[in-house]
Amino acid sequence: MSGICRPRLAEERKQWRKDHPFGFYAKPTKAADGSMNLMDWEVGIPGKVGTPWADGLYKLSMTFPEDYPSKPPKCKFTPPLFHPNVYPSGTVCLSILDEEKSWKPAITIKQILLGVQDLLDNPNIADPAQSDAYTMFKNDKHSYEKRIRQQARENIPK
Amino acid sequence: MDMDNEDFKVPIKEKKKAYEVDFTSLSQTAIEKMMDSELEHIAGIFGVDRDTAALLLRHLQWNKERLIEKYMDNASSVSIDAGISSPSTSTSSPTIPSAPGPSRRTTSRSSTKVLGPSPSTSKQRRTPPPAKKYTPSATSFTCHICFDDSPSLKTRALGCEHTFCLGCWVDYLGSRIRDEQELVIPCMAESCALRAPDSFVRAILVPDAGSPEAKSMTPEEKAAGQKLWERFGELGVRDFVGANKALKYCPYPACTNTVSCPSASTKASLTRIVPIVTCGARGIPQTSQSPSSSSSSPALNPYAAGGGSSDNTTLDTAASKEHVYCFGCPVESDHRPVVCGVARMWLKKCADDSETANWIKSNTKECPICQSTIEKNGGCNHMTCKKCKHEFCWVCMGPWTEHGTQWYSCNRYEEKAGIDARDQQSQSRASLERYLHYYNRWANHEQSSKLSLDLYAKTEKKMESLQSSSALTWIEVQFMRKAVDQAVRCRRTLQWTYAMGYFLENDNMKELFEANQRDLERSVEELSELLEGPVPVDKEGIGVLRQKVTDKTVYVQMRNEVMLEDTANGLVEGRWKWNAPVEGFSYEEDGDVDVLP
Repeated sequence: MSGICRPRLAEERKQWRKDHPFGFYAKPTKAADGSMNLMDWEVGIPGKVGTPWADGLYKLSMTFPEDYPSKPPKCKFTPPLFHPNVYPSGTVCLSILDEEKSWKPAITIKQILLGVQDLLDNPNIADPAQSDAYTMFKNDKHSYEKRIRQQARENIPK
Repeated sequence: MDMDNEDFKVPIKEKKKAYEVDFTSLSQTAIEKMMDSELEHIAGIFGVDRDTAALLLRHLQWNKERLIEKYMDNASSVSIDAGISSPSTSTSSPTIPSAPGPSRRTTSRSSTKVLGPSPSTSKQRRTPPPAKKYTPSATSFTCHICFDDSPSLKTRALGCEHTFCLGCWVDYLGSRIRDEQELVIPCMAESCALRAPDSFVRAILVPDAGSPEAKSMTPEEKAAGQKLWERFGELGVRDFVGANKALKYCPYPACTNTVSCPSASTKASLTRIVPIVTCGARGIPQTSQSPSSSSSSPALNPYAAGGGSSDNTTLDTAASKEHVYCFGCPVESDHRPVVCGVARMWLKKCADDSETANWIKSNTKECPICQSTIEKNGGCNHMTCKKCKHEFCWVCMGPWTEHGTQWYSCNRYEEKAGIDARDQQSQSRASLERYLHYYNRWANHEQSSKLSLDLYAKTEKKMESLQSSSALTWIEVQFMRKAVDQAVRCRRTLQWTYAMGYFLENDNMKELFEANQRDLERSVEELSELLEGPVPVDKEGIGVLRQKVTDKTVYVQMRNEVMLEDTANGLVEGRWKWNAPVEGFSYEEDGDVDVLP
């Protein structure tokens, strides 16, 4: 049962190193003793060019459960992001990351990250996860965009 | 009524009391048979296999008429929605899934040739890119879930040709069935909406004995697969039962029986009958569920053995209660005589904090300006709101400035706003009192029922002492136990009559109802007193007690039946008028209902 999880993650890692979309990074975290922890990944998602999110690189932690890939990983922005579909804790609310909705074991890390990148500028208003960003997005698009640009500036990689 | 209720008709019982309903209890096997006949029917009409029929029926919540209509209208779109075919393949031939080939085909590396010829080649051409990605090539196959590429890998694919290894399928099925309690099992490939048919699930979880898959499974894997397959079957039955309004699954833990009660299948019928049913099973896994089951049987057992008369019938009734529940609502006990809608309203009223609000209303007032709730804690009627500093008169609720120094002639007394405020307060005070009157009695009977556990134990002891001080046999002292049984039953009826009384409109019918209630309550109290009283030591005393208790028991039983019978008849005749809107009842005189907060 638990056999699949690690080999799959190792293979995901291999595939990622072979080829990954421009501007992204994804790597397993290192434990204190320097060994690699495949169950916890650190990833960065760039904002799409031509959107208020551009130039920013948003950090995300991916935590894989033992029964991955039967269950989806938990994706959490660190620090939490100002976005209608991101919970105050930073957890991303996205249908492909929900085992009761569209999660499928065949979805790859690459597909998840591209999905999250797409979500940045295409929030799902039917499924809000935090009230601040949601109300601002609904009532005052102008201030919302300003806030997003500000956030992008704060997240320019050094 | 989504389904033909004629199919599940119940044989009519010979003599039925007005407060009883017709029902049959069905085992899981019986339900499976019903499902089978539905499947056969659809499979026959559409000319598809049973797997396809099952997916179609589940997709439309077992509504055969709608399915037939929709399928005749546009078979391919229904098939796509039900996860039988993918959009691209369906246009050419919607009946593809019925072909036995693709969905059940199993391949292993050693026999990849099977993939080449046969029906799948023609289909592969029609399937767009995603299929290509997963289709195992002749040279090497890597499962895209676990990235295993060992040559001995066994694989499975649904009609969409998205192929994955057997191990991944097993894990996935486990996750869907065990963790998600899901009957719908979509293909593992991203955004593929095809659903796994039952035979596909079965072939993976419980492969036929003798097949190479079965041989390579460990006993543990076999047991786990068997368990999952059983759970899958149970989920299927629950799905079917849930879709059929004439059926209800037994709510008792670990019970898999179903009750069919067509007479209570509509909302409207629940205003005329109280469908208390039993699934036929006895015994409850957790002893705490039934008050009488836990203590009385251990007390009985040694005695029955020692006395030489093993009276199993009494043991049975006490030790393992039937699974009694209401067919029409989630209340897991007998709530006769009150109808489901009223029972629910009552429980909700007792559970939510509406009465807290009522207390606040009767004991506090709101500041006329900022609406803060204020409780008067001093003697003076000159109030100053702590929050907004508004000064007002507690008696008339008007501003204090207008009172000036002329308080005793409070010239604002007749002000309309002031009268309204006072009226509202006295009204809510009266309604609180009214509620408490009914609630106290309701709760009292409930409490007494709960205490019946002790009563049973006490009665046991009394029966023993009766036996030792007289020549009565064990069977002859059973009158005590019967009396307790009856008292408990009547207290449950009484308990719910108070819920009913609370919502009854004040009219002659209610007076008759209350007269019945009074008779029953008085006789139950008299019986209880006899039971709780001291056991006489002399022979005559015992004889008198026995006579008295037996008489009372019969009388109480009769009163209980009168109560239940009369209320049930009243429901059928529409005799009862409710003082609040009850779900399902129609209201002509909405205007003059008593205002209840």
